[in-house]
Amino acid sequence: MNTFIRWIGIAVVAFIAAPLLIVVPMSFSTAASLQFPPPGWGWQYYQAYFSDPSWLRPTWNSVFIAAMNTLLTMALVVPATFALVRHKFWGKSAANLMMMMPMAVPHIVMAIGYYSYFGELKLVHSKLGVILAHTCLSVPITFLVLSANLKGFDRTLERAARSLGATPRQVFLHITLPILRPGLLISALFAFIQSFDETVVAIFISGRNAETLPRKMFDSIREEADPVIAVISTLLFAIVFAGLIAPSVIKLIRRMTAKTAQQR
Amino acid sequence: MSSYLQLSGVNKTFGNFTALGHIDLEIEKGEFVTFLGPSGSGKTTTLMVIAGFEDATRGEITVDGQSLSHLAPQERNIGIVFQNYALFPHKTAAENVYFPLQMRKVGKKAGLKKAEEMLELVGLSGFAHRLPKELSGGQQQRVALARALVFEPDLLLLDEPLGALDKNLREQMQIEIKRIQKRLGVTTIFVTHDQTEAMSMSDRIVVFSDGAIEQADAPLEIYHRPATRFVADFIGESNLLPATITDAGTRRATSPVLGDVTFGAEGCPQVSDGQTVDLLIRPEHLKLSRDPKEGRQNAQMQIETIVNYGDNAVVIGHASDQQIRVRVPGADVVILKEGDTCHFSWTEDAVFVLTE
Repeated sequence: MNTFIRWIGIAVVAFIAAPLLIVVPMSFSTAASLQFPPPGWGWQYYQAYFSDPSWLRPTWNSVFIAAMNTLLTMALVVPATFALVRHKFWGKSAANLMMMMPMAVPHIVMAIGYYSYFGELKLVHSKLGVILAHTCLSVPITFLVLSANLKGFDRTLERAARSLGATPRQVFLHITLPILRPGLLISALFAFIQSFDETVVAIFISGRNAETLPRKMFDSIREEADPVIAVISTLLFAIVFAGLIAPSVIKLIRRMTAKTAQQR
Repeated sequence: MSSYLQLSGVNKTFGNFTALGHIDLEIEKGEFVTFLGPSGSGKTTTLMVIAGFEDATRGEITVDGQSLSHLAPQERNIGIVFQNYALFPHKTAAENVYFPLQMRKVGKKAGLKKAEEMLELVGLSGFAHRLPKELSGGQQQRVALARALVFEPDLLLLDEPLGALDKNLREQMQIEIKRIQKRLGVTTIFVTHDQTEAMSMSDRIVVFSDGAIEQADAPLEIYHRPATRFVADFIGESNLLPATITDAGTRRATSPVLGDVTFGAEGCPQVSDGQTVDLLIRPEHLKLSRDPKEGRQNAQMQIETIVNYGDNAVVIGHASDQQIRVRVPGADVVILKEGDTCHFSWTEDAVFVLTE
């Protein structure tokens, strides 16, 4: 039974990892379009990506939009989470529901809504429009992560700080904020990824001026199946992978330096 | 001449619920006072009102003649050790202890030096640079204590600080807290529901029940001369036996269990003939024997259970439907058997009358 479950596990992992195993080799391909297995090996599409403004511009657009989205989302969600987790007020459950709404409504429905509504406001084809739309989509996940963190926060710490002479503002700056920092960073990261990854709304409203990377990739795969898509996928995967293993690597290095320090 | 800490008519209600009825209490400078009571009796609420985390609905609190009413918690200069220690997890032991000094604008260098001196006083030199999670429960406790004392507070409040520690460590910390408190001479309020802790540490015990003070007295006074049935029952083990006063002048009463009894004169409240009272006899003041003992008052009981503690044992028996507990030296247990009928005896000094 145990081995059976293990094989199922391996099969699931293989199924999840398969796209990567195909995409990464294709990025080093010499073929004119996406083709597997690659007929030959080379760096040419990496060069193409880093020298072609029609790829670099959407990349910067995406980074800029995701960064602005993160700032705006955090500015809205942090105070909202404190209010919703720590205080009782009239209409609280309605407010809670509103926060989660964008998660329940399909993106395509939201996208059509933004398309017509932002059209009225002259926000279609603008970065601001995409940022605003993405912020709406980022709110639920950011709120979920942050509220879980805040619920687990021991408020006795704040009382202790007060008794030790800290004003409410000092308590927030010296105690609450630093302790919540990991949760804040993770929720900000989720907001960033949410925006960077978002395709449906971007296709509807980003237009030429605010074209994001996922939109450009989607257009490209429809028109020419440019292997640069594989390059971008590989690079994104590399960044995420580096981010994932970074903590363990740092820990390992620290342990090694600590060991050599002890030996001395 | 008024006391150092004074609570006058402190009342606290939450909606319809009265958490504190009407608390009057005076505490002298340097005194170690324990608030003792079951959970929900108001002891922690009183502490929170003093600390400023709860506002009193009515009444006033003064420290050294100054009213605390309009001071925020951070302005009261009161050190608190919380039940779960409430150490800041992102700061080292020394930084935790430095925090109150930092808030008082003490420079980092001087402040950290003072913090380390304080850690030394609580027996934690060498642990200054550890994070709370790298310290044991007892060590965290000491850091919390150092942090609550480093800024020379007017009052030290300890909210069930030993609850999470195991028995040996608890006794060690009781002695340690007492030593540090004496050395610094800080006026201290210690909240607990553990009566042995209260007995061993306090100058004075304040017994709380249902949001009111039942009695505030020295530990032995509370034990030997409880003011109410509640105190008698809550502090130590007790036999509380209903009785009627037959002659107040010669201190005689009659009880269905004990028969005719003469009760002690010392600390006896005002009673009148025919009044129904409770008689308190502590289990250790009763003696067991096969036959009635000369020179003592005697009654009969049937032994039901014997609980052995090694050096002593509690014999639980019945006498006319009333449970009787007798504490006997461990060596005497061997001659007793469950189911036996025997006599228990006492002297008049051991019988204490309770009217409330």
